[in-house]
Amino acid sequence: MASISGRVAGPATTESSQDASRLTSTSREARAFWRLRLNVLRALSEGTLRQARVQATSVVLASVILWVGLFLLFCQGFLLIQSGIPHEGLRTQMIQVIFNLFFLALSIMLVFSSAIILYGGLYRSDEVAFLLATPTRCARIVLHKFQETVFFSCWGFVLLGSPMLIAYGIVATAPWYYYALLIPFVISFVFIPAGVGAIFCLLVVRLLPKLRTHMLVLLGAVVLLAGAAMGWRVLAYENRDMMDMTWFQDVLARLEFSEQRMLPNWWLSSGLLEAAHPSVSESGRHSWRDSLMFLGVLVSNALLLLVVIEWLATRTFRVSYSSMRGIVSARRRAGLGWLDRVTLRVCAPFPRMIRHFIVKDLRLFRRDPVQWSQFVIFFGLLTLYFFNVRRFDYAGAMQKWVTIISFLNLAVVGLILSTFTTRFIFPMISMEGRRFWILGTAPINRDAILWGKFCFACAGAWPPCALLVLISDVMLGIASRSIAIVIIHQFGCAVLCIGLSSLAVGLGARMPNLREPSPSKIAAGFGGTMNLVFSSLYIIGVVLLLSVPTVFWAEADSLGIGHSPGRFVGGRIGLGTPGSVALGVALTLALSAVATVLPFRVGLVAFRRLEN
Amino acid sequence: MLALNSVTRNYGKKVAVNALDLQIPAGELFAFLGHNGAGKTTSIKMMVGLLQPTKGQIEVCGYDVVRESREACLRTGYVPDEPYLYDKLTGREFLQFVSEIYGMAPGEAVARIEMQIDQFGLGDFVDQMAESYSHGMKQRLVFASALLHRPRVLIVDEPMVGLDPRSMRLVKDILREETRQGATVFMSTHTLAVAEEIADRIGVIANGQLLFLGTVGELRAQMSSNESLEQLFLALTAEEAADGID
Repeated sequence: MASISGRVAGPATTESSQDASRLTSTSREARAFWRLRLNVLRALSEGTLRQARVQATSVVLASVILWVGLFLLFCQGFLLIQSGIPHEGLRTQMIQVIFNLFFLALSIMLVFSSAIILYGGLYRSDEVAFLLATPTRCARIVLHKFQETVFFSCWGFVLLGSPMLIAYGIVATAPWYYYALLIPFVISFVFIPAGVGAIFCLLVVRLLPKLRTHMLVLLGAVVLLAGAAMGWRVLAYENRDMMDMTWFQDVLARLEFSEQRMLPNWWLSSGLLEAAHPSVSESGRHSWRDSLMFLGVLVSNALLLLVVIEWLATRTFRVSYSSMRGIVSARRRAGLGWLDRVTLRVCAPFPRMIRHFIVKDLRLFRRDPVQWSQFVIFFGLLTLYFFNVRRFDYAGAMQKWVTIISFLNLAVVGLILSTFTTRFIFPMISMEGRRFWILGTAPINRDAILWGKFCFACAGAWPPCALLVLISDVMLGIASRSIAIVIIHQFGCAVLCIGLSSLAVGLGARMPNLREPSPSKIAAGFGGTMNLVFSSLYIIGVVLLLSVPTVFWAEADSLGIGHSPGRFVGGRIGLGTPGSVALGVALTLALSAVATVLPFRVGLVAFRRLEN
Repeated sequence: MLALNSVTRNYGKKVAVNALDLQIPAGELFAFLGHNGAGKTTSIKMMVGLLQPTKGQIEVCGYDVVRESREACLRTGYVPDEPYLYDKLTGREFLQFVSEIYGMAPGEAVARIEMQIDQFGLGDFVDQMAESYSHGMKQRLVFASALLHRPRVLIVDEPMVGLDPRSMRLVKDILREETRQGATVFMSTHTLAVAEEIADRIGVIANGQLLFLGTVGELRAQMSSNESLEQLFLALTAEEAADGID
């Protein structure tokens, strides 16, 4: 190391030192932050290519498969509309309604997601604390984090929205400029709801710093209720002949609310449709000009919101940051709360060590609003959907689909659960690993830690999932028609809960990330991705093994035609026979045993070997 | 150079810092001592603009930290207790970024960066990504970045934590050299031996109140004792703790 003598640069108080730094111009500051981003991005991509090629390839491959799948699905959907609605005017109207609804739903989600992401980025980030102690403008810091927010919000839109828009362009034989305008349209659109979310975040934290969580929950509840009311209004339709002209006109009338001309979703869908359908008006005006006009409206509104964000950030951010740091968290009472006592009693059959690990994880869960709020929102939305399934009138014209839809509902519950186990259960082991100096030196059996997590995950997942599946069965009328199918659904639900919990705990222990402090980043890493992939495969396996024989058996039973000729075991296990259902259940049990035992054992072995 | 005028900061009902008055002139190394939760880090965070005082005013080189935060920050170098570095940047890229946000001219920035690399012995790892650094390496890089723009006020929170003896010697020499050249150094520390060795004056804070302000010699005179600073500090804060209990 260098010695100090004679090495320190000139005196700090000389003229030259006073000139060493000066307030940076806005443009130079912006360039410095862009360079920072590019450097980080370059390092990230080089590091990923060098160290995590398999992970990068899996993520890209999974994204491509998802994109292509969605693209084909949307192509089929648009072709169905094209063939089902021969009248071009009505068809365009229908497409506009679909676009309007899709972009409106996306806008609402983007407002919330960007507000939440920006809140975390601005008020809980070490980077912001570092930047605030430098002469960087507050507006620059907020814009820097806002750009990150837009990026995080945008990728979902690109993955879901781009296959739909490209599929529409191909089906509608749109001209080249439709595709060229897609990117500027999408980017300028995303900035608007993200900007509204950012303004909401800055204002709430500035004006109501102590009530920020309550405000978000309240607003979320209002939006949820408004969505439910709108959904009810749209779907409260008694005509049993779906897909006919009257049904279409009625649905279009009910969806008029999404066509508010002051909303960006309307500007976006109108602009895209003008670009997709080249025409010349009576006054000689080309439709691409209208498309550009809508793009101009989107861009100017996005820029206006950026100006508002900058203005607000300059005036409020430093004060609100300081206020946030001044909030003292509520003092917790020592000892066990009533919920902990109940949990201990309910878990009485488990060993003492496991019981206490479950109580500890439950405390962490309920004290982290990110975890329980996402749980409540997703399961709340599913409940809303399940309570509304009957409005679709499956019991009438689409009776034969009822059993299929009930299994699709089971699959949806499983998929939502898998996102939770990946996001919240999978990183738990890594987070525990960071505290391994406590656990590693304590006189405890390490297996108990994993068993505790597994029991916690199962006990947390099973009751809400079983209830949701039951609601679905009641609303679809299955519970009153066939109790056997209800039992099969509950069996499927139980094995899914156990298998998904085991996968998350086992893979979490096998592929821990002990360096990363953020659970969301752990979940987004290679291990989390693998967990999501294996979970999806397991859900598909369980649902297929249970649904295929059950659907055939239920249909044969309802039509009173007995069963289709058996092919195996002397005709007792052909499709449509009770034997095939029993075989399906047995195979599901075998698959679940493998999906539960194997990852858990692998996890146990890895966790026992984990070094302090 | 650094002035705190009746600065108070509350966290809810708790008064973390109570009417703190401090004037630290240019060329002085001031050590701020106190037990955990005494109000040291809150005071430092107010000085660098991360927290705003509930009452009172803080000035850096005559600039109000709240109203003229950018001008104040421009003249301040800050080494926090838990330094932040961009994991995916190399040490050199980090120093370049810091030079840009402090508005240093490109040519001068390059020369200063090389000087800091040499001074803090960063050459062996400055082109590796920060994610691979040990705590000591990070601390040296953060010192280098805090001094890059030649601040007139250097604020250092627990500079010796996690440093090996050689790095500690370097930091002590650097802090002394900065003050010799006219900078104000405000150092918060639990390492009383270091404070005794290099500080011109010390301040002792407990429960948000300044208990003592002066030289170690003045503290000895006040306490009528020739004990080490550690013994004096324990005696002084024990009285306060006893008062608190009463």
